[in-house]
Amino acid sequence: MVLQVNKKIKANIISISISVALTFLITIIIFLIIGKNPLEVFSMMFADVFGSGYGFGQTLFKATPLIICGCGLAICFHASLFNIGAEGQLNAGSFVIGLIAYYLSGYSFLIAIPLALIGGFVISGLLGLIPAIIKVKKGVSEVITTIMMNFIVLALINFFLIDFFAVKSTVHTEKISDAIMIPKFSDFFPMFRGSSLNLVFIVSIILAFATYYFIYKTKIGYEIRAVGYNETASKYIGIKINKTILLSFFIGAGLTSLVGLNFIMGYKGYYEFGFSNNLGFTAIAVALLAKNNPIGIIFSALLFGFLDYGGLSVNTLVPKEIMFVIQGVVILTILSVDKLVEKYYLKNNYWN
Amino acid sequence: MELISQIISLTFLAQVLRLFTPYYLGANAANFSERSGVVNIAIEGFMIISALGYALFTIFSGNAIIGLLSAIALSVLFSFLFALFVVKLKINQIVAGVGFNLLMAGLAKFLIVFLFQSSSNTPRFESLPNIPFLFDVPFIGKVLSDYIILFSFALLFISNFILFKTKFGLRLRSVGENPEAGESLGIKVRLYKLYGVVICGFLASLGGIWLASNQNSFSDGMIAGRGYIAIAAMIIGKWKPVNIFIACLMFAFFEALEISLQITGTFIPSQIVQMLPYLITILVLIGFIGKTKPPAADGIPY
Repeated sequence: MVLQVNKKIKANIISISISVALTFLITIIIFLIIGKNPLEVFSMMFADVFGSGYGFGQTLFKATPLIICGCGLAICFHASLFNIGAEGQLNAGSFVIGLIAYYLSGYSFLIAIPLALIGGFVISGLLGLIPAIIKVKKGVSEVITTIMMNFIVLALINFFLIDFFAVKSTVHTEKISDAIMIPKFSDFFPMFRGSSLNLVFIVSIILAFATYYFIYKTKIGYEIRAVGYNETASKYIGIKINKTILLSFFIGAGLTSLVGLNFIMGYKGYYEFGFSNNLGFTAIAVALLAKNNPIGIIFSALLFGFLDYGGLSVNTLVPKEIMFVIQGVVILTILSVDKLVEKYYLKNNYWN
Repeated sequence: MELISQIISLTFLAQVLRLFTPYYLGANAANFSERSGVVNIAIEGFMIISALGYALFTIFSGNAIIGLLSAIALSVLFSFLFALFVVKLKINQIVAGVGFNLLMAGLAKFLIVFLFQSSSNTPRFESLPNIPFLFDVPFIGKVLSDYIILFSFALLFISNFILFKTKFGLRLRSVGENPEAGESLGIKVRLYKLYGVVICGFLASLGGIWLASNQNSFSDGMIAGRGYIAIAAMIIGKWKPVNIFIACLMFAFFEALEISLQITGTFIPSQIVQMLPYLITILVLIGFIGKTKPPAADGIPY
């Protein structure tokens, strides 16, 4: 049995490495097709990311929301719940964080930050509960409902923002007071000067470890994985399926709101419509690449952060939009490589 | 009052019919795929890549017909790739769909910046030719003379006929309902799933091509969730071409209304009208408005 688990872990490592290598290969081929020297592009990217505190900081800054959102999604995915609605959920939570933080700007950060966090978490979590309840009560797949909810939620946010809360002729809320802004790394380490990297990065790392503990070491986490692995069997060992589905959706969706902490209280100081730029979908790729393992998510988020900022830094050579292509390639390579590894490497595995 | 008189005009009707076209093409695309048991949430991506394909091939060849054919070929090519993932490798259809959406939307973003140094849109290009003598009919001439619009109306009968009156349609549906039974009767299950996915790619491409041709340029975000609305229409239409037709007309009406609202500026916020299709879909799924049931083996790899 131990041997089987080891083999499974080994298979995961093999398929992740092949996927990453394959993605790089495809990226290189794309560069060659469009007539750029891959070596030149990559060396410029590396020089920019690792050559300065600013570049390094920006890379970590870009990885932060991906770690947070990836962890939230991982909880849903472990329960075999395809939450495609993170984009809407995280926007709603962030919007509420921005509003609460603004209205509590006069108070100490000890009051403002926790209340904003709770408010955001609850709103995002409740939005996650809607598709979960529909699934539990009506047996409707969460996929379609979460997709539809994205559009509904974003339209509602847009409505409330434009008609009530936005600064005139902009799409962002009022700025919160500097007193409740989260400190930047550059406040302590001058080498990060100019970078938006803030303490939320540390929070996101802690969150990843906490999520790991939650999923693999707690009873609820065990139940979530059991339901995701085999719903019928879980029922027979006494796990309350419906409760588990609702809970994982609430926590998973709730966690995505924390990206607002990074953007609003750590960076801009206000909620801005469209800030997420498909983060909710990119995070699916991040979680997928890490096999929904929160510690792995840290690394896959860093890889995406590297590509994101690196893409920006080589914009003069290759349009930064290449990033969007690579994201799609990553998902598709990991999916296909996974299947092939499963087929050829784990073929004697009597677990399957 | 101004709004009401606007709604009951021929121009408004023409507008509804034009907006209806990409929805109905996309919804039929989704339907053929789901009838064969493959959930394809990448309709949006297929529309994007074919709209871009039409733009690029028309610009570089200078000929709209070449643009049309190449864009269809491109979309069909991608649907073969999609089928490789979900039919041959039996990869989870939802995740694969998300991946294809990201890839195709990303390709579009990347290519317009790379080729035209613009992050928003391509240069203008010509639209598809019209039927000459019908073009001059007042108000609705533009609708009557458009081949793709006419095809999308014909599709009501074509889809219905193929799905419910032919041997092919029966087999396609049986593969989506009960693949084991189909297999035992000698139907090549995966081949029929491939047919479903490729027909889907073809029809979705027409939707994208029409949008690009109609707008005379490709811009980032021009598909604007139409692929998802198409899926919504398919669900509300209960996987039946006739009902889907009505659902698409309804959504087109809402969109035309939203455009009118934006022009006249009334008390009804446009965002609320915008979200109606999605809200109605969820209500239908919950069972508030009639019952709806997908093909029994929808989404299950075989």
